[in-house]
Amino acid sequence: MLNIFSVNKSDDEKNAMSKNVFSTSGRLSIEKLNISYGSNHAVKNVCMSISPKSVTAFIGPSGCGKSTLLRAINRMNDEIDGCKIEGEIIWKGVNILGKDVDPVALRSKVGMVFQKPNPFPKSIFDNVAYGPRIHGINEKEELERIVEKSLKNSALWGEVENRLAESAMSLSGGQQQRLCIARALAVEPEVILMDEPCSALDPIATAKIEDLIEELKKNYTVIIVTHNMQQAARVSDHTGFMYLGELIEFGDTEQIFENPKEKLTENYITGRFG
Amino acid sequence: MTEKFHEELALLKKEVEKMGELSKDMLEKSVQALKNQDIELANWVISESPALRELDDKIEEEALRLIALHQPMASDMRLVATILKMITYMTRIGRYGNDIAKIALELADQPHIAKMASIPQMSKIVTSMVDDALKAFETKELSYILDFKDREDTIDAMRYSIFREAISYMMEEPKYITRCTHYIMIARYLERCGDHACKMAEKIHYMITGERIEVR
Repeated sequence: MLNIFSVNKSDDEKNAMSKNVFSTSGRLSIEKLNISYGSNHAVKNVCMSISPKSVTAFIGPSGCGKSTLLRAINRMNDEIDGCKIEGEIIWKGVNILGKDVDPVALRSKVGMVFQKPNPFPKSIFDNVAYGPRIHGINEKEELERIVEKSLKNSALWGEVENRLAESAMSLSGGQQQRLCIARALAVEPEVILMDEPCSALDPIATAKIEDLIEELKKNYTVIIVTHNMQQAARVSDHTGFMYLGELIEFGDTEQIFENPKEKLTENYITGRFG
Repeated sequence: MTEKFHEELALLKKEVEKMGELSKDMLEKSVQALKNQDIELANWVISESPALRELDDKIEEEALRLIALHQPMASDMRLVATILKMITYMTRIGRYGNDIAKIALELADQPHIAKMASIPQMSKIVTSMVDDALKAFETKELSYILDFKDREDTIDAMRYSIFREAISYMMEEPKYITRCTHYIMIARYLERCGDHACKMAEKIHYMITGERIEVR
């Protein structure tokens, strides 16, 4: 079991906290989250509770803060100069924004898939084995087992099982994206963040990723940012609508798309915006 | 693109209102034709049947086209869904008008029995329900349809009373059997139209509020 706390804690402290992390519910509670880049207040006082083993979608116009919110969940905003974060994201009893949480260890539990497929210029096998190797797994058989399992879970195994040594760059865009999902799965995360995972893909590749998301939610908590409202409606169980940094409405996907409570949500999803 | 969609949706709504007016007219005028033994009016009702069918087909086609091309959501989706259900109810109401008009032609040569019991009064209530459902659809104003359950109860009671009354006349005088059987049928048609108006009200309630109710 991985410990997500940084090295400046004693082993006992880490063990105690780690037990806490992995013993309580997998619900992610975002509490009074504020994120600013300089004078730009990108996420304003967002509170929400994300259910484990379900798909949650964030929708909203460009610049509404949905990607910033998503990136906060695995501390990607830490990499941005001048980014100021206030509030808490409580996961399994721990504030994952806390200074004592090691972002690298956190990211092994909270994987991320980006808008554009970004495989490493390595073989298909090495792409998937990359994460486990970093985490110290070097036995060939163990790596083979992980690569096969991850590729099967990302619905790519059947298409690549005979060409694992080939370059990942030889795959199509949709296959590359599923490879990136396999790469994220290889380190056995519990949460998978997806930032517009289909926006660079054609409809057939998109359908495959959407089917995959449906499969993934049996074992993982999936959080997806998408511009495509139909996609949010198709794949998610819960949807949050964001506007100008605020979470305007958050609820069951059916309710949001059939009968939104807020006028702003209604206007956005019916295209009566601006 | 969405502006064009909303313009097209508004036009479609107008067509539904037009179809609603036609179905209501067909029903209302069929009972007038029956009451006044007005052959010309009965023939007018019958002659409008193809127009009603055409509107039904045209609106359905357009609604499906809008779904295929624009995938409406939220209130837009509820409007299109309501339209698709309403045209079926309106077609049936118009068709009952057509059926009553045909009976009116059959019964035009002999005087009515007991002023056709309470058929004209029943027709007034049913027509008012269709009219109010259409007003609620047009204005998104719920108040028009809030008392539909009470009106439907009245209609049910009237249908039963017409049935009892017609049976009495038939027992008294067997030569009234044909005419009275028609009255019973018409009362049944009107009751069905009231049911369709209630179904329209349910869908319109959903369109306006997003919540499903049952009028019964």
